[in-house]
Amino acid sequence: MGQIPWMLSLIPDAILNWLYWGIIAVGITGMFAGWLGKFIPFYGKYVGILKPVGIALLVLGMWLRGGYDTEMMWRARVAEAEAKVAKAEEASKDANSKLEAKIKEKVKVRTEYITTVKERIVKDTQIIDAECKVAPEVIKDLNDAAKNPVTKDAKK
Amino acid sequence: MNRIILILALFVTGCATSVPVAVKFPDVPSDMLVACPDLKLAPDTTKLSEVLPVVADNYGQYYTCKDNVDSWIDWYNSQKKIFNSIK
Repeated sequence: MGQIPWMLSLIPDAILNWLYWGIIAVGITGMFAGWLGKFIPFYGKYVGILKPVGIALLVLGMWLRGGYDTEMMWRARVAEAEAKVAKAEEASKDANSKLEAKIKEKVKVRTEYITTVKERIVKDTQIIDAECKVAPEVIKDLNDAAKNPVTKDAKK
Repeated sequence: MNRIILILALFVTGCATSVPVAVKFPDVPSDMLVACPDLKLAPDTTKLSEVLPVVADNYGQYYTCKDNVDSWIDWYNSQKKIFNSIK
């Protein structure tokens, strides 16, 4: 039954609003005409029809108005939710930009630092190698420590 | 008959109504999607000066990976805060 509200949604809201108020107005008029008709001689034979039709139109108009208000309320809520989502997406992008800038800055500082340390090692090569000779076991132990035991390569 | 087909077509079209609000999964900075490489291995040498740069690189690598993990924690916390603000 969702098709009927959807088809009604194709009609502009302002027209629907006036249409529903119109149905209510006709319903009330019909009811009053039914009541007043009793006092008008030549009109009396229509009273029997006018009153139930008026009541039916009033009920229908009220029901449609209620549906219209509910629809408008939901549309407002959807618009509010969409605005919140758009704002959140913008905030997410901002947060990512800040994080990205922070990462780039850290990488730059670290690269410069490691380069400085390695330059110092090159400069101090003679001093470092003068009194120290690395045993082959040291290299093996060091490389074994650098391997990740949970990968295939480390098991070789 | 044509009118009935037209009315039925309109009713069927109504079924295409979609959910009005959808929240997109937040993006992640591309730098954070890089996996940590394995540590470098020292060359077969007796000179400590040839081993030290490898050790220095590995230390640097550790801190790069540490930053990556810290960035993921930052990203998660900030995105969670933003997501919760929608409710």
